[in-house]
Amino acid sequence: MSTLTYPVPFHTPDLVWDSSIAIYLFLLGISSGAVQLAIAYRRSHKLEKPSENWIVRSAAVLGTIPTLIGLTLLIFHLARPWTFWKLMFNYQFNSVMSMGVMLFQVYMLFMVIWIAVLFKAEIDNLIKKFVPKLRFVTNIIGACERIFSAAEVILFILAAVLGAYTGFLLSALISYPMLNNPVLPALFLASGTSSGIAATFLCILIAGKLKGDSHEVHYIHKFEVPIMVTELGLIVCFFVGLYFGGGQKVVALQNALSGFWGAVFWIGVMLIGIMIPLIANLFASDKWKYNAKFIILVSIFDLIGVLCLRYFILYAGQLTIAM
Amino acid sequence: MTACSRRNFVSGMGALILTTGTSVKLSAQGEKPNETAPKRYAMVHDETSCIGCTACMDACRETNQVPEGVSRLEILRSEPHGEFPNQEYEFFRQSCQHCTNAPCVAVCPTGASFIDPETGIVDVNKDLCVGCQYCIAVCPYRVRFIHPVHKTADKCNFCRDTNLAAGKQPACVEACPTKALTFGDMNDPNSAVARKVRENPVYRTKLTLGTEPNLYHIPFAKGEHR
Ligand code: SF4
Ligand code: SF4
Ligand code: SF4
Repeated sequence: MSTLTYPVPFHTPDLVWDSSIAIYLFLLGISSGAVQLAIAYRRSHKLEKPSENWIVRSAAVLGTIPTLIGLTLLIFHLARPWTFWKLMFNYQFNSVMSMGVMLFQVYMLFMVIWIAVLFKAEIDNLIKKFVPKLRFVTNIIGACERIFSAAEVILFILAAVLGAYTGFLLSALISYPMLNNPVLPALFLASGTSSGIAATFLCILIAGKLKGDSHEVHYIHKFEVPIMVTELGLIVCFFVGLYFGGGQKVVALQNALSGFWGAVFWIGVMLIGIMIPLIANLFASDKWKYNAKFIILVSIFDLIGVLCLRYFILYAGQLTIAM
Repeated sequence: MTACSRRNFVSGMGALILTTGTSVKLSAQGEKPNETAPKRYAMVHDETSCIGCTACMDACRETNQVPEGVSRLEILRSEPHGEFPNQEYEFFRQSCQHCTNAPCVAVCPTGASFIDPETGIVDVNKDLCVGCQYCIAVCPYRVRFIHPVHKTADKCNFCRDTNLAAGKQPACVEACPTKALTFGDMNDPNSAVARKVRENPVYRTKLTLGTEPNLYHIPFAKGEHR
């Protein structure tokens, strides 16, 4: 029998999924949030050249790269990484993870269509310049253009489902009373969206060098507070649900909010991730609110908070076993 | 799910037949229960006769070639009851419960974890397992592990591919010096395991999770039952 004494933050006896899963969940949230934001933006604005807009450009990068890094992390977390392809040929309709694999494939497909159509001119130029043989690709993109509007709506829905999926993946674990919680998918969707917004801010302000009072920043600012308040509300629901759940749920709540992971929650999630950004958004004067450096700082806080939330939920969730 | 309810139905019918006169007549005439009906293999650990010798653990390790560092079966010893020299310990068997409603099977993304429809045994198909550990995380009985050699999920399978395939009882049952372990088909009301469950006070763990475990325990008389 194990002789470890509590608390041992990263090595609790019943820990099965560790850091790489927490980072994977974090990266998927960013991807989901950034894509939802960009689609909302593109559909509410008549963009002359969407490929030159930095919110769209950010989504093209944030929608794909974090997802691919996340999937790579996931594959190398397998005990048999080189058998990962078996996941794609043996779908199980009752397994959340298997449905997630399918979701990824469809999401990536629509992501590629979306990017290809919006960046058609650029892709065309590249092909002409470097590999003229691939001319037919332009024709395919042309064909995709006809279904673009529908594809974009589907991509938006898939992005939202992806955000919730990260929560469903954990809430299916009936062995851990804290994770086996119906609020989790909604909470992960909300926090993922806020991390996607923060990551987009970093992209447009650092890579895009947009001004702090640009039209894009004004647009994104509208979403920050409502989403953060939603996130806060869902966190409250999450814990109140545990508190009234009785039995091991109450034990899980106590274990989670004490010791190391309690500190991660109060300092990382609540203070850095929610309170500071919320106060900064609500009470800062417009001079600050539209200052690029200030926004970058707040966005970094926001991202740290969301990463802490993923770590907290995953690790604290595995502290307590169902009786 | 359909398979489960059918199995429940069959076991329900078994109990029904048992309480009616016909079955007495049937068994008196030496008629066997329907051979083709699905089995539901189950096990009883009699904590009142277990002496904690761990012969079962060793036999399992040998028969199923379970490497050091992991185990398919553990006998957990309680805190002592009573004062020295009259101390007594309670022993608890921790191993796969072959849940009729197995969460490890439900979450497995490749179908590697499965319930054998003919026996109700929960097993892992090594070829399909990618080692995602979802099943390890979801098992409320904490009996799954990654096999250090095969790198696939592993656990007790009632010696499905070893002793059972050879027509023998599971290794732990054969090895037990006090006959504390009973194994057999719960769907056959005349099986030793069904009789043990019927004739003794038994308990199963974590029933509220809806897993419908098939490992029964005959409680040690003293102390609080799990
Ligand atoms: S005890 Fe665990 S491994 Fe065995 S069938 Fe039940 S859930 Fe699966
Ligand atoms: S570790 Fe293997 S058996 Fe378990 S859920 Fe993953 S693929 Fe299925
Ligand atoms: S072999 Fe029998 S008596 Fe010995 S520990 Fe195992 S179950 Fe108990």
